Amino acid sequence: METILYLIAYPPLWQVLILGFVGALLVAMVAIWFERKAAARVQRRIGPYWASPRLGGFMIIVADMIRYVTQQVIIPTTVDKIAFLLTPVAVLVVTILPLAFIPLSPHELYWPVASMEYSLLIALALTTLPPLLTVVLGWASSNKFSVIGSLRESYVITAYELVAVLAILAPAASTLSFNIVYIVEAQQPVKWLAILNPLAFLAAFLAVLMSTSAFPFEIPESEHEVVAGPYTEYSGILYALNMGGGYIRRFIYAIIIALVFLGGWAPYTPGLNPFTGFIIPSLIVLVKASIVVLIMSFLRAVYGRYRLDQALDAAWRLALPLALLGLGWSIILAYMNLI
Amino acid sequence: MPARVSLKSLKRRGGLFEGIKSNIQALAVGVKYFIDPQRSTLLYPKEYIEHRPGYRGFIVLIKDKCISCAACARICPSAAMKMVRVTEVDPKHPDKPRQKQYPVINYQRCIFCGYCVDICPTEALYHTPFQDVVYESLADMFLTLEAFQLEPGRPSVSEGSPVVYEVDEERGLIKRRR
Repeated sequence: METILYLIAYPPLWQVLILGFVGALLVAMVAIWFERKAAARVQRRIGPYWASPRLGGFMIIVADMIRYVTQQVIIPTTVDKIAFLLTPVAVLVVTILPLAFIPLSPHELYWPVASMEYSLLIALALTTLPPLLTVVLGWASSNKFSVIGSLRESYVITAYELVAVLAILAPAASTLSFNIVYIVEAQQPVKWLAILNPLAFLAAFLAVLMSTSAFPFEIPESEHEVVAGPYTEYSGILYALNMGGGYIRRFIYAIIIALVFLGGWAPYTPGLNPFTGFIIPSLIVLVKASIVVLIMSFLRAVYGRYRLDQALDAAWRLALPLALLGLGWSIILAYMNLI
Repeated sequence: MPARVSLKSLKRRGGLFEGIKSNIQALAVGVKYFIDPQRSTLLYPKEYIEHRPGYRGFIVLIKDKCISCAACARICPSAAMKMVRVTEVDPKHPDKPRQKQYPVINYQRCIFCGYCVDICPTEALYHTPFQDVVYESLADMFLTLEAFQLEPGRPSVSEGSPVVYEVDEERGLIKRRR
């Protein structure tokens, strides 16, 4: 019986299906579809519809993907060819990399990273890599719009990565551990850090929204000012890699937020066999992360786009003090043994 | 001499409390529309707009009423209407053919202002209440005298249902089914 269960819930397979490339792709597709549909609802339109009326037009995302794959890839003569072709692939690889250090199950048997002491720190450090490659991307294109776009990207990441890292490390200060599993277990059953420490949660949410250049705040690739920012020269599959990379990066941040602030698998106590110990906890985390991503997508419909100076102003005057307050409050939480 | 650069700064409106309040209000409006969407999109082939009488759509000629005064061709601001000379049978003298001028229209140029319909002294021109007609080529849009007398067909009527757009006091522009 135990063997059959183990075969059905074979961990490496589910790690690929739930969290690996396929899962990330699915989440990116659903996020794009929901973004268009939610914005249409709020703005009194219908959004994608005719592609498949029963599914609410979801098939238009598949059609878009087919279009991206079969489109001609144009390589301008002025670009740095090796960097131009390799960077989008590198962006996607580096974007998925943090998933290797995020445990979704407390058992070392099913998720070997579970007992790693510094998993939160390493995962956070890896999430800050892709923006650097975006700067390389703009530089390799050798186009004025691309260079301006990557300059903006570097401004935004300098401001918001700091806030994101500070705010997401606040739970580590209150639980006195960098181990994600330990942080999650400390939040059992409903002592979620989003409730105990809303300041850090808000700062982390804001910083993730800004630093992944989610739609209303897509300062580096603003259409009206710089054509598509760092991605101006890209077409076809290479553009799709860049665009999907942004959504996957947001999803990974959402997983970290769901684990660290929203209690991970918290109301549920994982058992020992593969189903109760591995699949159910990871699905709970996935659902929480998806809700965070969908809320971020919904904000597109409500907010207008920020100018660069407004965004930087909000970062240094509002988000950074918020993150520092959150860090201080989490130290107070640790000192008073509230968690 | 380089351009002089001066930094402009706008005075901040409200304080922290005002900012939080307005953000929450914006989110509340968004959530309200997300839960209760008030869509006004026209699902075009399945629905069509039923226009009110007096709508300036396609123009049709009633040949028997025309007195060849050419007022429509003269008033036309975009020179879309032209008079053509036609040889036809005179009803009073059936044995003697006569020459008469009739208007024809070029829909490449027409702006649907309706001046020709307004100025016609015998009401020989009238508007159809729709505009959604498709031509296969640009040459087809230059109507002949025979085509100008026919009312063009409207395919969306046979496929879809009529809707009406109305202005509501509270909700703004709304779509209502007939």
